Amino acid sequence: MSAADDRSEQPAGSAAPLIAVRMQGVSKWFGSFQALNKIDLTVRRGEKIVVCGPSGSGKSTLIRCINQLEPIQAGSIVVDDIDLGAGGKNVQRVRREVGMVFQSFNLFPHMTVMDNCILAPMKVRNAPKDEAIATARKYLARVHIPEQADKYPAQLSGGQQQRVAIARALCMNPKIMLFDEPTSALDPEMVQEVLDTMIDLAEEGMTMVCVTHEMGFARRVADRVVFMDHGEIVEVAPPEEFFERPSHERARLFLGQIQRTHKPVPE
Amino acid sequence: MIRAFGWGEVLFIVWALRWTLALSAIAFIGGGICGLAVALARTSTSRALRLVTTGFIRLFQGTPLLMQLFLVYFGMSIFGLGIDPWAAAAVALSLHAAAFLAEIWRGCIEAIPPGQNEAATALGLTWGSRMRYVILPQAMKIAVAPTVGFLVQLVKGTSLAAIIGFTELTRSGQIISNATFQPFLVFSLVAGLYFVICWPLSFLASRLERRLARATAR
Ligand SMILES: Nc1ncnc2c1ncn2[C@@H]1O[C@H](COP(=O)(O)OP(=O)(O)OP(=O)(O)O)[C@@H](O)[C@H]1O
Ligand SMILES: [Mg+2]
Repeated sequence: MSAADDRSEQPAGSAAPLIAVRMQGVSKWFGSFQALNKIDLTVRRGEKIVVCGPSGSGKSTLIRCINQLEPIQAGSIVVDDIDLGAGGKNVQRVRREVGMVFQSFNLFPHMTVMDNCILAPMKVRNAPKDEAIATARKYLARVHIPEQADKYPAQLSGGQQQRVAIARALCMNPKIMLFDEPTSALDPEMVQEVLDTMIDLAEEGMTMVCVTHEMGFARRVADRVVFMDHGEIVEVAPPEEFFERPSHERARLFLGQIQRTHKPVPE
Repeated sequence: MIRAFGWGEVLFIVWALRWTLALSAIAFIGGGICGLAVALARTSTSRALRLVTTGFIRLFQGTPLLMQLFLVYFGMSIFGLGIDPWAAAAVALSLHAAAFLAEIWRGCIEAIPPGQNEAATALGLTWGSRMRYVILPQAMKIAVAPTVGFLVQLVKGTSLAAIIGFTELTRSGQIISNATFQPFLVFSLVAGLYFVICWPLSFLASRLERRLARATAR
């Protein structure tokens, strides 16, 4: 049994929830501006969701609510059977199970790659240092940069930094991974190495919610594409259907725009 | 009776330097500890904490240090704590330093990109761990130069403690000046001693600042 299997396939009898994320009637305001309007979205365990939509449509806000980087004002979010609204230590418990990768990497610049990777396992999960280092080496090898462990983030290329960020999140053994435009800040020649890492992760059975406009990635990996506009989910469909026959005019307009600005990514 | 301004008098003044240094050190350490707490409260998510600490900072930045010394000095005697120039000077200068250091350090904490805190939060780190391992180590680097710069202000500020009768460098100068009627000579010496302490600190601060500017330009 590989490491990926024991993450996605729980032994029979254990109560692993089949629903990874359930958002019901989620609304979010920034002051008087409504950024999310009654969002309903259910992500099954092992499912890969790609979220797309025009700038300002609420994509980042949506995924940031899942680990409560943004608090919500209405509705409910349950992650891995933990109700975020129920207070107590639930937010903390959810964050332990949910990894996040940001557009701007957000590596800790004053720490080596290795220290970036072992900080949270040691401080949050109380892992012994040698165990945390072993885990970090495993994931750095998996994102194909085992030799960079002792470097500082500034010494790495953008693509390498983003792969370290993915490894850092994986070191917490998350059940769900969130990606917020992980390739948008990268030079074009580095996009594919990060997408490949994400594809590997998807094939290992990770539950993933990815905000991205990389349509090649969406077609290859996504189970469903969620299209957002003005803080609402306008359309949810499998990728072939969404890209070939979008049922909403706004989605058609959006697809027309990104096909003009994005070169298709070779598969 | 007029005394001559001889070696004994010079030594008396130079020896009083130790009280200036001691008071500076106490105010810097006390102010540093309180200042860090205030800076953390000022950047926290709690509105009440932010309001209270902002008020504290505004109050101490908006009134002269001399008034702060007076208020603590006379306040202590009103509240039955007796008249003690040492304690009053230490408390007033510590509070003064706390307010200014808090404001300097708040700026340094806020200069750290929000993504750092978000990434640490997403990893499940608690507020304490985020501050200790992620935010403060980065903020400290940019805080060093302005902090040393403020230390210079603080050393010079201790001279006001002379007015409430605390015998540090300036007060010992006054004493000798009154006895020798050589105020120009005496206060030249006093000023020279302040300069000997402050100039190397200013020099250090500007060097650290240049070094940081080079490091961030890269
Ligand atoms: N902290 C904030 N304060 C106020 N308004 C905000 C804040 N964060 C986001 N918004 C607003 O909420 C809306 C949704 O923002 P969000 O970042 O979720 O959009 P997005 O779909 O991710 O866009 P992009 O493609 O540009 O990243 C935008 O109009 C934005 O201006
Ligand atoms: Mg966004």
